[in-house]
Amino acid sequence: MELTVNDLSVSIGNHAIVQDVALKVTNKQFVGLIGPNGCGKSTLLKSIYKIIKPAHGEVFLSGLDVLRSSPKVVSKQLGVVGQFNELSFDFTAAEMVMMGRTPHKGLLEADHAKDHEIVREALRKVNLESYAGRSYNSLSGGEKQRVILARALAQQPQFMILDEPTNHLDIKYQLQILQIVKQLNIGLLAALHDLTLAAKYCDYLYVMKKGQVYASGKPEEVLSKELIREVFEVECEIYRNPVTQDLGIAYFHM
Amino acid sequence: MHVPSSQQGSKLAALIHSKAGFYSFVFLLLILALFSIGVSVSLGQVDIPLGQTYRILLYKITGFIIGDPSGVVSGSYTDIIWSIRFPRVLLALLVGAGLSLCGMVMQATVQNPLADPYILGISSGASLGATFAILVGFGAVGMFAQYSLAFGAFIGAFGASLLVLTLAGLGGKMTSVKLVLSGMVINALCLAFSNFIVYFANNAEGIRTVTFWTMGSLATATWSKLPLISIIVVLAILFFLIQTRILNTMLVGDEAAVTLGINLSSFRKFYLLATALITGVIVASCGMIGFVGLIIPHIVRGMVGSDHRRLLPITVLIGAIFLVWTDVLARTIVPSVELPIGIITAMIGAPLFMYMLVKKGYSFGGK
Repeated sequence: MELTVNDLSVSIGNHAIVQDVALKVTNKQFVGLIGPNGCGKSTLLKSIYKIIKPAHGEVFLSGLDVLRSSPKVVSKQLGVVGQFNELSFDFTAAEMVMMGRTPHKGLLEADHAKDHEIVREALRKVNLESYAGRSYNSLSGGEKQRVILARALAQQPQFMILDEPTNHLDIKYQLQILQIVKQLNIGLLAALHDLTLAAKYCDYLYVMKKGQVYASGKPEEVLSKELIREVFEVECEIYRNPVTQDLGIAYFHM
Repeated sequence: MHVPSSQQGSKLAALIHSKAGFYSFVFLLLILALFSIGVSVSLGQVDIPLGQTYRILLYKITGFIIGDPSGVVSGSYTDIIWSIRFPRVLLALLVGAGLSLCGMVMQATVQNPLADPYILGISSGASLGATFAILVGFGAVGMFAQYSLAFGAFIGAFGASLLVLTLAGLGGKMTSVKLVLSGMVINALCLAFSNFIVYFANNAEGIRTVTFWTMGSLATATWSKLPLISIIVVLAILFFLIQTRILNTMLVGDEAAVTLGINLSSFRKFYLLATALITGVIVASCGMIGFVGLIIPHIVRGMVGSDHRRLLPITVLIGAIFLVWTDVLARTIVPSVELPIGIITAMIGAPLFMYMLVKKGYSFGGK
């Protein structure tokens, strides 16, 4: 499943947050979206998954016109792991994950054995199998994030959008979450903070600055010390990590 | 702001979470409801033996007589039960179920466990609408009076809901504090106006006392009052039974709901209309009975969790039973005096409200 975004602009009030962004995620690619705070990453993602109405532009998920389709139709194809996941009411982890089945359910349809199996499997994938009966609000930030990922997994989407999915997570679960989504073998678009992790897991990167796509390309092509200076205003040196052979970034004091 | 759940590690909760356990619990509550109806109908100025009560009810409902027909088919007991006490207990069941349902739906709609028709001033909006309907007299007489009263109450309730939500939503996110304060303001405002009307229309035909409107009473229950409220409450319960998935996604917030395929804003408007309708019809028939919609869903969430597929049926049942017993208390706690039922519900509800406000984990000033 391919995601195509054309000419997308979002304004809040008179302020243009996202300007004429075009991007493409081809089949089963893991595409990262990087950029400094306030560059419009979240706004861009939210307008793709229909929370914010863009001023103009189009979003296609293969043949599906996302902006003109109902949320129900879109949610059968597109799973989302958003940023803000606090609740005023409490659910068990299993109940939260079961909500991922909502798009596939009629109003009166009960949860079948298959749905319970999907929920168990989703919880197992994020290593929270034994947490099924735990109350969501009692979980740590990282555990909550993994429950939300499990909910998106239970949606069985063909494409997934993640907005800083590794926030709040310690390094083990950062690696684990990126590993899990990469292994799903579906198209992925993720806003990421950590540039080395983005370089390690993403097939392609879009770099945003002030609401526009500043650069794009394969991680090793696009991540240069000039770009990081321009976009993040930080001096650094790019190197090959001698142990992992991954791309490494050494930041200098300002 | 969190509602801590007691489900974790609780054996009762684990039991209710299983299918068989849930249905047994519902069955148990139905038995309890039948028992409560019997006791409530037996108690009063004249105490009627419980066995006799059930025999009379059985005869009246099914035409079936057990044992001695004398004193069952007719007689003073039969009259008391059938024309006075039984309609009253039915009204109590409907009002309890309706108010609890209203509270539960409103809490989901505004994503705040403090929502309740009384606290948010919706009930006083309804009572203003009802008193206004009587004052201007588009009630005419007879059957129409009841419907115009309910219609006026519905308009008042709806207006109050819109005002409260607009006021609470001003300047961004709707916080608990803003919601409760807006409710307080609207409550005070509507109450002042409806008391004003009641006070000056003192002699007008059909207008009831301030006590009735502000503290509620089931004493005016008659058979002719029941059809409207039963239709509305029963239809509302059936309607929301098929909305449980949507109610669930409401609790996880607007953004998450959209990503799960549900656009909440249209549902939210419709639910507000529905809760205004239920509140209006209830207030028109028995005045303002406070806190029921706050207490019952809160307690039931502690027992069965937030999933509306379990929460709704249990809330409705326990709400109905709760109001039957508060009515029994109102009638019997002081000998030969009948207290307004709203006093009892407020005595139970207000401390719970206080507890919910100060409880740990309730970021009262925050979010």
